[in-house]
Amino acid sequence: MVKSLNSVVRRLVAPVGLWTATMLAPLYATAEINAGEELLRNRCMGCHVPEQNEPLQLSRISHQRKTPEGWLMSIARMQMVHGAQITSDERRTLVKFLADTQGLTPQESAPYRYILERRLNHIEDKQPQLAEMCARCHSEARVGLQRRDAGEWEHLVNFHLGQWPSIEYSAMGRDRDWLGLALNEVVPFLDKNYGLQKDHWQQWLDSEKASPIGEWRLVGSMPGRGDFHGVMKVIADGEDRYRLNLTGKFADGKSLRGKGQALVYSGYEWRADITLGKEKFQQVLAMNPQGDRFEGRMFLKQQETLGVNLTASRADKPSLLAVSPAFIEAGKSQQISVRGTQLSGDVSLGPGIEVLKVLKRGKNEIRLKVRARKGLETQALDVRVGEQNLAGGLRVYDRIDSLQVSPAYAVARVGDGGGSQEKVKAAFEARAYGAGEDGVNGTADDIYIGTMPANWSLAPFDQQAIEDRDLDFVGKIDRRTGVFTPAAAGPNSKRKYGTNNAGRMSVIASVGQGDNKQEAKAELIVTVQRWNNPPIR
Amino acid sequence: MLMRWMFTAALALSGIGGSLQVAAADERDYMVVVNRPNNLHVIDLAKEQLERSCTLPGDSAPGTVAMSPDNRIAYVLAGRFGKIWGVDISNCELTFSAELSYDNVRVKSLASLAVSPDGKEIYTIHNPTRIMNDHYKVLDSQFAVYHAGDGLDAKPQRLYPVPRQINIMQTGDNGMVYMSGADVYAMDPKSGDLSVAIASRSGVRPGYGQPDILTVWPIGRVSNEFIRMYSVAKYGDVEKSPEATEYFWGYERVDLTTGETAVEDFAPLEQVLFTGMHRPGHPNEFYAVLTQLKRHDVKAKKVIKSIDLERTYYCINFSTDGSKLYLAGTYNDIAVYNAETLEKLGNIHLPGGDMSMATSQVFSAPVSRLASN
Repeated sequence: MVKSLNSVVRRLVAPVGLWTATMLAPLYATAEINAGEELLRNRCMGCHVPEQNEPLQLSRISHQRKTPEGWLMSIARMQMVHGAQITSDERRTLVKFLADTQGLTPQESAPYRYILERRLNHIEDKQPQLAEMCARCHSEARVGLQRRDAGEWEHLVNFHLGQWPSIEYSAMGRDRDWLGLALNEVVPFLDKNYGLQKDHWQQWLDSEKASPIGEWRLVGSMPGRGDFHGVMKVIADGEDRYRLNLTGKFADGKSLRGKGQALVYSGYEWRADITLGKEKFQQVLAMNPQGDRFEGRMFLKQQETLGVNLTASRADKPSLLAVSPAFIEAGKSQQISVRGTQLSGDVSLGPGIEVLKVLKRGKNEIRLKVRARKGLETQALDVRVGEQNLAGGLRVYDRIDSLQVSPAYAVARVGDGGGSQEKVKAAFEARAYGAGEDGVNGTADDIYIGTMPANWSLAPFDQQAIEDRDLDFVGKIDRRTGVFTPAAAGPNSKRKYGTNNAGRMSVIASVGQGDNKQEAKAELIVTVQRWNNPPIR
Repeated sequence: MLMRWMFTAALALSGIGGSLQVAAADERDYMVVVNRPNNLHVIDLAKEQLERSCTLPGDSAPGTVAMSPDNRIAYVLAGRFGKIWGVDISNCELTFSAELSYDNVRVKSLASLAVSPDGKEIYTIHNPTRIMNDHYKVLDSQFAVYHAGDGLDAKPQRLYPVPRQINIMQTGDNGMVYMSGADVYAMDPKSGDLSVAIASRSGVRPGYGQPDILTVWPIGRVSNEFIRMYSVAKYGDVEKSPEATEYFWGYERVDLTTGETAVEDFAPLEQVLFTGMHRPGHPNEFYAVLTQLKRHDVKAKKVIKSIDLERTYYCINFSTDGSKLYLAGTYNDIAVYNAETLEKLGNIHLPGGDMSMATSQVFSAPVSRLASN
């Protein structure tokens, strides 16, 4: 059953197509979900030992819980490394079955949703017990999105060292008793904090699940394109399967319209594939237990760093979702849109904000011309429409005290150039803040004003970057959108050492002019390709 | 040139440069190195030309080479870290083959390969994993002894327990096998007795942090040394404050003739380096390479000269007289430098692909044995 490392490595270095071909959504299996158990018997029992017949319990498999993406990766590995014979349809059915019967609860997946949502530049706040043992090679989230009993965690340690013998020789492995630490310190920690805890899952299984069918109102934002709003109509298309229509618009005027398909795993994990115009997006959303709110992200399938942070509310229930633009300068007047669902009642924007004119009054959008009184200090104001409240939904500011570029540290990757990997871009936002009551920037009482349009530029990060002329080679940033596109992959004979187009940049956002000009920097590492890009990095 | 040869020969006689291999009249330097996909090249270093290319029975990685003491057989750890092949470099004949894995146990060796002084035994480290139907079980590491005469289906004749995390090894003239792990170990391959030759992780020097050591290149035959480099923090105060901390490159060394050990910081840590070794006949000169090629004065802990290379090279080596140095690894050309001036003398291009992490071995051998015509 076990193949030579040679064939293993050959298969592992070329999994890109496989991951792409096995994206989770939509999973339109021809078999019914209850065919999952039959597939476990026919496709997995060649290796996994039956421990119980009714209901079926198999060694290893029945002692783990994980996300749909986690199950997909396990099954794909069984195919790539261990020669499991499973068709694409069967794999979809198995992923669905396992995520529905041995998934994670909303509470369990909540701390690590960034990894499912492909927020590739999220900086993890790593637990010291896992930072060097696990998260030096992959995210801590990859561990935190699993539940296993102690024996299973121990199996995982043995698997890691058996499959990747260099683990105990590479940095942060070779300077310690790696195997001893893994078995004697990390396994007990994982068992205590990420044990199988079947009762948690059973409680979630026993709770009533909501249906996503109906109309949803979406709000969000995307770096470079600004605020987003839209409508998504969800229609049943089989058990836990849906068709959807989506229309939307960005603040820059660009519209989106298209159709897609979705599947809900584990009672709340929404995964959809949508084609909007010529662009293919993927949605990774979590539905709340009440079934009236989605949170998550919609990103380009081939460029995961570019995406919309999404919040959606069911159209037939009242909610107040967003104000756009969400900030106004004191002494100025401007149009704003208050967006939500079933909006009714009086509109209150907070003290000092005067409604000059109601331009539109709808149940999903109230468009107003407003003025912020001169002399108002920077503050976040609660917005109310009838009984709905959006805390801090509108920010007024008298000046920008500080600017921050987000993310403060990002990684882009060279690509194309004849290689198999596409370029991985990086997208930045300029976030403006007021100093708060203490008048000091960077303290806890700073007030977030909003994401400002900025002029974007690059500069060498340090002396080394100057000497290596990184700026001439790494790629370009769009002055207006803050999206960085790296250069082509491969050795570059024009560079010192003939190296590739890697480098270290400062990304500079500039907002305002003259005395009011504010600048902020982020660090951008432009580096080489990743060759293995599974859904959970 | 003659003067230098006489000088180095004198050093050799005085014992300081005991590494020097004084070539017999019809001998010259050769290099053996492996590259992708399955080539073992024999290079005439006097002509700086390829003498012959042998085809290995499988994948080249990692391409760790250890020569038999008579320099007739090149033993190669390859086959994805899982096979050892012996190749007669005069005619490419496969004389030895060992598959490290057995039954349902997958065995990998991380660049661990050495040959006994009499050429009769081959040593490696087994890092075994038992592959069960539904789980893996990591087994203890072992020192494995193979008989060179066992031909093309060789099995280990003796196995001794060893600590995990061993990579390179070299055989001393006394028959002891020096191995790079958490410490530098000395293994008596007759008895399996293991001792610590250099306490590295277990004997952190006062005022120093724990050294960080990466090596998969068992170079050093021409300077008669087991050698591995470390990077280390040296603290200036008890609080280990960053302002008072200095960082150094250093090496841990075993003289393969005398068994004497040395631990020396040789330069400030300025750039990343992959391999380094002493210049044959010049015990105070240590050279190291990655993106730069650096020549160091060990006693003064200073860089004598540093040059930027055209590209990165992983593996350094010298001519047996120490006059030239050869940079291998990474791509598929060997760069030749004047060891005294670091002036580039040329490139030897290899057919085939990358050398990657392969180890080059340099030795002198009779022209009559290795020349094609």
